[in-house]
Amino acid sequence: MKEGRNLWKMVSTVILSTILVAGCSSGESQTESAPTSVLKDGKYDPPFKITIAKQQDENAGKYINGESLNDNVLTRWGEENLGIKIETTLLGGDASQYNTKLRLALTGSEKLPDVLPVYDTMLVNDLIDSGRVKEITEDIAAYMPDRLREIYKQYPTTFNPVVRDGKVYGMAIAPNLTEGEVMLIRQDWLDRLKLKAPTTIEEFEQVIAAFTTEDPDGNGKQDTYGFTFSGKDSYNTGWVSDPVMIFSAYTGKHLPRQWVNDNGKLTYGSVAGGNREALAKLRDWYAKGYLNKELATQGAWDALSDFTEGKAGIIIGRPWLYDSVKDVEKNIEGAKINAYPTIQGVNGDKTYQSAQLNDGVFMFNKDFQNMEAFFLYYDKMYDAAFSTGEFKYGYAQGYDYDIVNDEVTFDPQKFNKPLEAIQSVGKMAFTKNTPSVDGPGKSYFDLANGVKADTGVLIQSDSKDQTTKDGYRISYENREALLPNEFNGPPTPTMQNVWEQLTTMEQETFTKIIYGNEPIEAFDTFVKQWHEKGGDQIIEEVNDWYTQTSETDVMALMKLK
Amino acid sequence: MYHKTTGYRVFSIFNYAFMILAGLACFLPLLHLLAQSLSSKAAISGNMVSFWPVGFNVDAYVKTFNNSNFNGAMLTSIIRTVLGTTISMFILTCAGYALSKEFRGRNALMWFFIFTMLFSGGLIPSYILVTSLGLKDTIWALVLPGAFGAYNLILLVNFFKTIPKALEEAAFIDGASFFVILSKIYLPLSLPGIATVSLFIMVGHWNSWFDGILYMSDASRYPLASFLQTVVVQSNMQNMAMSQSEVAAMSEQSIKAAQIFVSTLPIILVYPFLQRYFVKGIVLGAVKE
Repeated sequence: MKEGRNLWKMVSTVILSTILVAGCSSGESQTESAPTSVLKDGKYDPPFKITIAKQQDENAGKYINGESLNDNVLTRWGEENLGIKIETTLLGGDASQYNTKLRLALTGSEKLPDVLPVYDTMLVNDLIDSGRVKEITEDIAAYMPDRLREIYKQYPTTFNPVVRDGKVYGMAIAPNLTEGEVMLIRQDWLDRLKLKAPTTIEEFEQVIAAFTTEDPDGNGKQDTYGFTFSGKDSYNTGWVSDPVMIFSAYTGKHLPRQWVNDNGKLTYGSVAGGNREALAKLRDWYAKGYLNKELATQGAWDALSDFTEGKAGIIIGRPWLYDSVKDVEKNIEGAKINAYPTIQGVNGDKTYQSAQLNDGVFMFNKDFQNMEAFFLYYDKMYDAAFSTGEFKYGYAQGYDYDIVNDEVTFDPQKFNKPLEAIQSVGKMAFTKNTPSVDGPGKSYFDLANGVKADTGVLIQSDSKDQTTKDGYRISYENREALLPNEFNGPPTPTMQNVWEQLTTMEQETFTKIIYGNEPIEAFDTFVKQWHEKGGDQIIEEVNDWYTQTSETDVMALMKLK
Repeated sequence: MYHKTTGYRVFSIFNYAFMILAGLACFLPLLHLLAQSLSSKAAISGNMVSFWPVGFNVDAYVKTFNNSNFNGAMLTSIIRTVLGTTISMFILTCAGYALSKEFRGRNALMWFFIFTMLFSGGLIPSYILVTSLGLKDTIWALVLPGAFGAYNLILLVNFFKTIPKALEEAAFIDGASFFVILSKIYLPLSLPGIATVSLFIMVGHWNSWFDGILYMSDASRYPLASFLQTVVVQSNMQNMAMSQSEVAAMSEQSIKAAQIFVSTLPIILVYPFLQRYFVKGIVLGAVKE
C-alpha cells in the first residue's frame, strides 16, 4: 500500500514537472527586430539572413574544398554581392524524412524557416491550414521580376495546389516543362540483324522478337531479350524504365496513373478502355520472353541493369539515361546505343508521356518580411538559365564550369583543377534542381540546326555525348507528346481513404494479366470495381477541385496576365 | 556411446552443414561488398562483380578518405559512441547497483522505469522536448535521450543480484562505503554483464541514424549512419526525375560499397575483444544458486 502511494506521488511529480518544462519553453520565441536593411545598388545593407528548409538530395550534399551546407561558394556569393545570407535551419534527407521534419517544425517547438520548399501536396494543404504560411498574392504582384513573370505566366496550372479561396500561398519551384522520354536501342544489335529502329507497334514487336530469338549478341546462346521496363510501383514511372509508350499506343492521352482533361472533365487514365489491348499485347510478349522476366519486382532504377549488362536491347527513359547505361559500351566490345523517338500509336497518332512542370512549391513563413529580397536572389539564380549577367556560363568558375585557355569548358576532367564531377552549385541555395528554362531541350534542338554554341547553356549542351544530344533533340521535336498530370492538388477526402487500395488493386491486376496469372477479362472486372469502390466519388471530387481552382482568376490578382 | 550412433552422425553432419550455411549467409554479403569496393565502375554497373574484384583499383577508398563529410561523420560517430556509452554506463551502473538492493519504494521505482520501456512519448513530444531544451544541433541530442534504457537496466540489476551479499557485508565491516564497494567489488566481478551491456549500447549508437537526421540541421554534423543513410538508401531517386544530366554525377556503387565497408569495420573490430564475456553475460539469471 505504501509503495502504491509512493508511486502515485512520484508519477504526479513527474507529470507536473513535465508540464512546467513544456510551459516554460513553448513560449513564443522572440523575433529579433533587426535594424531594417536597405537595398543600395543591388545589395542589402546591413546584410541579413534568410533561413530556409532544404530537402537534401544526394548531389546537393556534395561539397568540395571543405565547403558545407551553410558556407559554400554560393552562400558566400550571396553575402558579398547581395547582402543576403542563406542559412539552412531545417534539413531533411529523403522525401519522407523531410516531410516529417516539416511537420515537427509545425508543432511550434522552433521557428519555421523563412523559405519552405514543399514537395508533397498533402503537406502543402496542411501548411495552408495551419495558418503559419504567408499569403503572397500581392507580393508576387508587387515584387516578382519581369523575366520570372514571363516564366510563371506560361504555367498557370502550377498555382493550383497553392490556391485557397482565391488567395495564393506559394509558387512553383522553377516551373519548366521537363524533357521527354526517348527509346534507347542497342544499335549494334539492330545492325547485326539488319533491322531498322521501330516506329509502329508491329515493327516494335518484330524488333523485340528478333532481339529475343535471333541471338543479337552473336554468342550462340539464347540469353537476350527485347524490352526492359519496371512494373514494381507503377506502369508509369514518368522518367526511366517505363512502358507508357505501349499503353499510349492504344489509349492516346489516357496514361496509366494520370489524370487527363477529356473535353473539360478530368478522367483517370488507368481505367480507359485501350489499356485492355495494351495489357493483352504485353501479356503476349511476356509469355514469349520478350520482356524482363522480373519486371514486377524491379524498380525503375533496377530495371535498367539488364540493359547495362547487355541482356536487354531496348529501354525507355529521359535522354540523360544514356549516361547511366553507357557502361555497356565499355563492358561489351562493339556495343553501341542510339536514341530514337517513341513509336506511333495504333491509329497513327503520337504516343504520349507524362511530364512534370515543377518539382514542389515554395512557401513562406508568415513572419517573413523580405519577399523582395527573396525575389532578388531567386532571379539571380536564373542568370545561369538565361546565360546572362554574372552567371552567364555557370554559377562558379572551377565548380560547374571553368575557363581553360580562353575556352569555356563543362568537362570536369579538363578543369584547371580537375574534378570528379561537376558541382551542382545551382542546388546549393533554395532548390533541389538548378532552375532551367530550356524546356524539353531547345538548346540541343538549336545546336542540331546549326546554331553556334556561344552562350553558357549552349556550350554546356554541346559538351554532352552525341547520343544524349540526339535524345534531347528528339525530345524537343516531340514536345507536344508531353502531358503534365492535370490533377496536382492535395488528395481529396475519398482519395485519402481508398486511393491506396485502388492503386494496389490496379497494380496487381495489371501485373497478373501481364504475367498470365489472370485472364484478360480481369481488366473489365478491375474497371468495374474501381468505379464502385470509390473511383466515381473520386472523379467527382477531383473535378470539383478542378472547377474550384479556376473560379477566381488568381493570375490576374498576381498581375501575371 | 551415444555419439557413435548413426543418428548422432547424421545430426552432426546436418548441424555442421547448417552452421556453415548460416556462417556464409553472414559472410558473403560482406565479401561481395568488399569486392565491389575494389572494382571499376563499369564492371559494377554491368553486374560482373560477385566475390572477386573486377578491374581492381582502390580509388573508392582514396575518395572515401578524401571526403571531408565522410571523415567528419566518422569522427562524430566515434565521439558519439564513446561519450554515449560512457554516460549510459555511468547512469546504468549507479542505478543498477542501487536497485539491486532492498529499500523502500524500490519496486515502485522499478515499475516506473519499466513503464518507459513499454510506453514512450512518441516522436513529436520527444522532438519538442529535445528542441526546447536547446539540444538540437549538438551532440547531446544524440547522446542524452537514449542514455537510460530500462532493458539494459534490468540486465545489470539482475547481474548485480547474482553477486553474493556476503561479499558486500564483509566489505562493510572493513569500513568500505557504497561507492568503494561498487567500484572495487561489484564492477570487477560483473565485468561480463557490463561488457555485454556496453556492447549493446555501443552498437546501438553506432548504427542509429534517424536521430541524427532528425536533430541535426547541418549535414556536416551527421553521424556516420545518418550520412550513409543519405548516400546509400536515398539514392533510389524517385524524386530525381527533374534533375536532367545531374543524375550522372551520382555517387558510384564502388564508393558506396567502400563507405559501408569502412563504416562496419570499427564495430566488427570491437567484437572479438568483448566476445569472450558474452556467454556469461547473456546467460545471466539462467543459473540459480
